[in-house]
Amino acid sequence: MVVEKIAVIALYTTIAMFVGILFMGVGRKIVARVHNRVGPPVYQGFIDIAKLLTKKTNISHGWIYDLALLFSMTGIMLTILFLPIGGVKLLSMEGDAFLVLYLLAIPALGFALGAGASGNPNAAIGVMRALVMMLSYELPFVITLIALMIYYDTSSIAQIVEMQHAKWAIMIPPFVLAAAVADMALQGMLMEAPFDISTAPHEIASGPMAEFGGKHLGALMIYKAGTIVAYTTLFVDLFLGGGVVMHDGSVLAYLANFAVWFILIFLVFTLSLLINTSFPRFRIEQAFKFYWKYEALLAFISLIWVYLMVIS
Amino acid sequence: MGLFDGDIMKYEDWNKISRIASRKSLWMVHFCTGCGAIELPPVMTSRYDMERFGMGSMATPRQADVLLITGYLTVKTLKRVVNVYEQMQSPKYVISFGSCPINGGMYWDSYNTVKRLDRYLPVDVYVGGCMPRPEGVMNAFLELMKLIDEGKARGWEKYQKYYEQYKRNQKMAFNFEREKDEGA
Amino acid sequence: MLELIFAVLLIAAFATLFIKSGRIAAIISLIASAMPLIAVVDWANDFGIKAFSFGVENSMDFPIAGITMHLSITSFAWFFAVMVFSLLPPIFLFSYSFFEKNNGFFPFMLFLITAVFGILLASDFLTFFFFWELMAASSFILVCISRDKKAIMSYLAFSVLSAVLILVGIALLYSQSGTLLFSDIVLNADKVTVSAIILMVAGFAVKSALMPLHAWAPFVYSKADEPFVAFLSGGLSKVGYYGMFFVLFALPGAKILHQYFNSGVATYLLAVIGAISAFIGTLLAFMEDDLRKLLAYSSIAQLGYIAVGFGIGSSLAMAGALFQAFNHAFFKSVLFLVAGAVAYRTGKWKISELGGVGYKMPFTFMAALFAIFALAAIPITSGFAAKWLLYEAAVSNKYIFITPIMLIAGVGAFLYSFRILYGVFLGENRHDDIKEAPLPMIAGMFLLVLPLIIFLIFPGYMLDMMHSALVDAGIGTISHTNYVIRTGMASYNTLAVVIGMMVVMIPAFLIYVLRKQKKVDFKDNFLAGEPYEFYGYISMHAANNFYKPIEDVIMPYLRKGAISFYTALYNAMGRVSDASRKIYTGLSQDYTIYIIIFFFIIVGWLIW
Repeated sequence: MVVEKIAVIALYTTIAMFVGILFMGVGRKIVARVHNRVGPPVYQGFIDIAKLLTKKTNISHGWIYDLALLFSMTGIMLTILFLPIGGVKLLSMEGDAFLVLYLLAIPALGFALGAGASGNPNAAIGVMRALVMMLSYELPFVITLIALMIYYDTSSIAQIVEMQHAKWAIMIPPFVLAAAVADMALQGMLMEAPFDISTAPHEIASGPMAEFGGKHLGALMIYKAGTIVAYTTLFVDLFLGGGVVMHDGSVLAYLANFAVWFILIFLVFTLSLLINTSFPRFRIEQAFKFYWKYEALLAFISLIWVYLMVIS
Repeated sequence: MGLFDGDIMKYEDWNKISRIASRKSLWMVHFCTGCGAIELPPVMTSRYDMERFGMGSMATPRQADVLLITGYLTVKTLKRVVNVYEQMQSPKYVISFGSCPINGGMYWDSYNTVKRLDRYLPVDVYVGGCMPRPEGVMNAFLELMKLIDEGKARGWEKYQKYYEQYKRNQKMAFNFEREKDEGA
Repeated sequence: MLELIFAVLLIAAFATLFIKSGRIAAIISLIASAMPLIAVVDWANDFGIKAFSFGVENSMDFPIAGITMHLSITSFAWFFAVMVFSLLPPIFLFSYSFFEKNNGFFPFMLFLITAVFGILLASDFLTFFFFWELMAASSFILVCISRDKKAIMSYLAFSVLSAVLILVGIALLYSQSGTLLFSDIVLNADKVTVSAIILMVAGFAVKSALMPLHAWAPFVYSKADEPFVAFLSGGLSKVGYYGMFFVLFALPGAKILHQYFNSGVATYLLAVIGAISAFIGTLLAFMEDDLRKLLAYSSIAQLGYIAVGFGIGSSLAMAGALFQAFNHAFFKSVLFLVAGAVAYRTGKWKISELGGVGYKMPFTFMAALFAIFALAAIPITSGFAAKWLLYEAAVSNKYIFITPIMLIAGVGAFLYSFRILYGVFLGENRHDDIKEAPLPMIAGMFLLVLPLIIFLIFPGYMLDMMHSALVDAGIGTISHTNYVIRTGMASYNTLAVVIGMMVVMIPAFLIYVLRKQKKVDFKDNFLAGEPYEFYGYISMHAANNFYKPIEDVIMPYLRKGAISFYTALYNAMGRVSDASRKIYTGLSQDYTIYIIIFFFIIVGWLIW
């Protein structure tokens, strides 16, 4: 029973990372088409990671710098384990939304430590901007999360997914506003423009990644692929029903749920990419003000709306 | 190669996978010297899209594979270019544009420019012209990919093998020596 | 046996008054501080936990000068005693190397320990107040050793304020119930009025640095000696919370407040104050350059979480609050001891002057890393379980204003944690000639980190320890096994997290091990092609004004705060006193005129 569970966990983690790397390539293709050019093939992400992992020399700046590798990859894969993917629960009955929120911070912290240990001052500035971004987008995001938790009276993501089987959360009026706010927060989480402040190539020499090369950069790209899947799955699970359309537990149900989940995260990712190609980059204080003034206000309105709905 | 040296995969097969990955995803350092830098934006943007071959531009040499010497090099720039080249990780390639790195080009009698780049850095592909058009630049990229596929683009190994000679030439040019080459 | 413990502590305190060498004094203090710990371990048996038995009786009546002091241990006092007294032997081990000469630290720490032992054991208010004043006096002398005017003045003012508030509260309780014994007051609880409760809670809140009564904390924490500050923030703030716990839950103050206001307004106010402390403390923390001031604001922030738990009052919230108190005691002491070790070796306090210390002092860095993981509530440490319980409690009671603020304070903890790690330990190495901290210091720090690691996998043990405390205070318990906590809304399984992490670490580890790598020198960094040696003045350590962008946005809103209020009050008092100089001029001629005028007034009044 435990061995079976570990096998399912390993399978789904591999599938999730596979989907993430695929999305990286597909994303580049979509951006290229928006720019009216051809773009790389959709399997480009795999080739990039293969090239990085087969480099003949890898430069390291010490044991703390290598910790970044371990923490980032481990943290993001651990987070994926606690999210229901297409209705399959993996480990999500053993932890809830707060655990996922804090687990998403482990790779960020590891990455920050590695960038700090690399000794490049650009890396330190990039990490500062990444941390300030994290502080900025968390406020509206947790407000919408609390709105969901109050409405469904649970804090477990698996339960929220189950309770949406009749009606998706986004079809309830206050959650339309909440989903819009969460989508903007998602834009910050995925570090897509206008919020790709911390890895700006022209301003701070790609920020935290300045000294990463070879296998460290390969691990970092695997981490980035994992974040694409983790954040969009979180959004889909919270607002779009997690992609669960059939509940009878048969093989067909598994496949149908997986397909719907895949299409939904692809749509969410494409939306964020389209916003990416249309906007330039913010400065960090503009992003902070945007999230804490306007987004937080909207999120608060939706929270009070839900609170009044629940009390009456 | 360590673990894979004949245990799980044959040396030639492993190298082949490594070569395919290296050829289909070349990343260049965004460090454009000389007058050929103006030919790069058309290559990168929508008309002569280089991203369809997997090429992209990266901010630091730690992340990049190929260094483009786009035009003439003064002695001052050569010092920094050598630093950048040595900070890259192997396998790494160099493409030089224009006639100045070949034989001095337009500045053949200047006291300040480099007449033969090959004395200081191992070059894999030369592109002639003053400046080559974007079609010529794309041709150079495809030529480099063909050479990588055939296993002939081994500039970095040449640099390690003849390290003393390269260092002697560089020292004569600008009288400064780094610690050592990280591509080794 | 209980008298023996008090006697040993007092004799050691008086003995170390006359010893000049710091090392011998440290050894004496270490042995003396182990005595309360023995008592604590022995009393564990009384509360359902298997432990050794040393035969220490758990109550005592001590007659002195015609008054009887009643001492006995209750279950919640025992829980706080475990926290506070486990801190002491590692702190003394640390101070063995920190102090070469005895500058007064050791005797007054021993007095302080005696006082805290008495506070936790007190079972009537007279004993409680007597030991509270002893604690205030000895900690004040310890602050005076630092010789900084602002620290001494602010600590004196706020200690007196808290003592006065508590004394008035005790007086009101005595006049309402006619007795000072705890057990009798609990029986007559319906006679207790609200004002006594509020005054006592305010008095205890000063000690636990809740906003707006926190103004002494940044000044004192940044100027006093580190081992003392470690105990002050780790131990004494918990004594303040013990008092608050006692007033609100044992002598059921929370129920009285509910009945008086017909709703939970007063305790909700406490929770809001705690949440605001957490939020603003975090915001102020990451803008500081002085390492100790940063840790002071972070202390204020983390202590605010405990007040939130007390304010919410459900069993989940109380368990979370007590767990957070336990964690805070350990990780904050470790952080202050780390600051002390760094200062001992480099002599610097400001983050912008430090850098690269972690390469030369790796064990100190590891201790700081573990403590910061617990502070930031990373799920692989025990810090997360405490915060998780608090968040669950807040959401299940549908508190919509407090929960986002608490969560943001949790995220903000990452910001100042990174500033400490990068600014002090990583980055450019500016101190090539320092050695690792001496062995007793490292041993002390790692002993304090140990409980954080133990409770990471088994939060159930911690909940077992709290069990009798919560039950005796009339709050329920939460269902848990050794490693799973279940609430009404979700469950948290630490074993799943740990095993999941082991499983997914395999591919990362494979990449780490299988592809060979080469270590390069620090100076070999990408500086746009420039060689580092070429320009000797390049600073590669970007730790000065680290959070300037966000500081520029936030500071206009935070400029007027509690500390500026107190400073304005202080200046206003100064002006009033200066105005009274017009009458009390200090010149004997004016006083002679006053006496003559007064004499004539008296004569004139007598005539008529």
